[in-house]
Amino acid sequence: MTFTSFSFLIFFPILICVYWLTSSKYRWFVLLSSSYFFYINTKPIFALLLMGITVSTYFFTKKMHQSNSDALKKKYMRYNIVLILMPLFFFKYFNAINAELIETLKYLHLSVTLPEFSLLLPIGISFYTFMAIGYTIDVYNEEVPFENNIGILALFISFFPLILSGPIERAKNMLPQFRSQKVFEYENFVKGSRIMLWGYFMKLVVADRLGIYISAIFENIAHHNGTTLLFGSLLYPFQLYADLGGYSLIAIGTSKILGFNVMNNFNRPFFSKSMSEFWRRWHISLITWLTDYIYTPLSFHFRKYKISGIVISLMITFLISGIWHGATINFIFWGLFQGIIVSYEAITNKRKTNLELQYNLNKKIWYSCFQIFSTYLLFASSQIFGKTTTINESFLVFNKILFSHGKLFIGQPSTFIFCILGLLMLFINDLTDEYFPNLFLFFNNKNKTIRMLSYSIIIIIILLIGVLDGGQFIYFQF
Amino acid sequence: MEREEIITKLTVIFRTVFNNQSIVISNEMTANDVENWDSLTHMLLINEVENSFSIKFKLKDLLNMKNVGELIDIIKTKIS
Repeated sequence: MTFTSFSFLIFFPILICVYWLTSSKYRWFVLLSSSYFFYINTKPIFALLLMGITVSTYFFTKKMHQSNSDALKKKYMRYNIVLILMPLFFFKYFNAINAELIETLKYLHLSVTLPEFSLLLPIGISFYTFMAIGYTIDVYNEEVPFENNIGILALFISFFPLILSGPIERAKNMLPQFRSQKVFEYENFVKGSRIMLWGYFMKLVVADRLGIYISAIFENIAHHNGTTLLFGSLLYPFQLYADLGGYSLIAIGTSKILGFNVMNNFNRPFFSKSMSEFWRRWHISLITWLTDYIYTPLSFHFRKYKISGIVISLMITFLISGIWHGATINFIFWGLFQGIIVSYEAITNKRKTNLELQYNLNKKIWYSCFQIFSTYLLFASSQIFGKTTTINESFLVFNKILFSHGKLFIGQPSTFIFCILGLLMLFINDLTDEYFPNLFLFFNNKNKTIRMLSYSIIIIIILLIGVLDGGQFIYFQF
Repeated sequence: MEREEIITKLTVIFRTVFNNQSIVISNEMTANDVENWDSLTHMLLINEVENSFSIKFKLKDLLNMKNVGELIDIIKTKIS
């Protein structure tokens, strides 16, 4: 089951009724069973994996809790991390590593037959594995207490709004909420529904419409000129943003209706003035996870090397982030590209601040526009590695963008017009939220007629322009 | 070393690391109150503090540190 499937439209209203009618003492159980039901609907066998990760995490964190020696605690923490990472590595990287190995052996004139599996990546495996790892490390660092009720822990790892694509939540935020007594609040219901509605707009109208146009370009790179490839590359970050950002809003809204506050995953990233700022506004739950559990321990370890230690830590963190996105050379390039840019910003930060102060640049509009545009351009360039499948293809795109110009591909005029319309609505919404937060209010307007009109218009646009035939979420593949 | 002495020494470190001569530190101060205090400059600050006070932090010390007041407390404990 996914948020855009018809079965979810039946599942969620029933759950809302059952959940709020059940005594608060047993609500966690209603949520746990419905979360497993939600997950089992994708592929039943994968629920066993989810259960295994939960049991292992419970067992080792209990051992950590009972132990008095720091060395033993560290050992149990490491055991659990290695154990629960195994399925992720196996499903995600086995075939890629296998193919590379066969190629290498062939190159060495060795003919060895290796087993090949047709593996389907369990949806959400990265997300719930990361949540379980985060909890394990937090218990070790005594940032959260050990959760004695395995049911509550199982709910944290499997909570259905977050299980397929995040936001990657923290035990510190969620466990106390699962334990607290909740009462139905109409305000939460309205707020959650509004957030969900905008999430559906972003996903079905913007992301999926853009997806049709962008796929037509990137699936036929050889046939398109540089102008079209440049236009497609500039649009692709918006497709990614609307896809995962839309999904995240639906997840946040769903949780809100059930009385839970889930962390924000995007904060208008395309208004960032540097790549470092961009990574504080884009996929926030993943970036803070990587910062807390990978970058911080690494930079602490390398701190005596000062700025060089920070650069090493940044490069390793972005490389891991790249490999997490996919076991391909393209994503390694993507990680290196991002690592180099953010490291450069870290090294030159002091000089840049001095220059800005000397010429009073931060108060000049042209300077802000230049920073925003160049940050967007850098991100869009790095995503060319993510959108193409081989490194040759990536360089072909760069080459065509630089040297082969021509007429812009329009494709189906209706698709093109709907893409631009959806994109403009999303952009104007983000622009007003960023710079004029209280000037144009639609969903939050005090006037009921304007509110109702806004809801109706968005619903009509979703029904008329939205791609309603079950387009997948891009981040399901991670 | 007295708390006041630690604050004086720490102020110099903050001003150098964050490149701002007007920083005045207080117990309640957090990273949100200082421009450029992010995950990148944080370890530069920690390294300077360690060198200046001849102490060594544990990662756990840093994770549980909520504000500058707690940083001063940890420095005071480590020195004594």
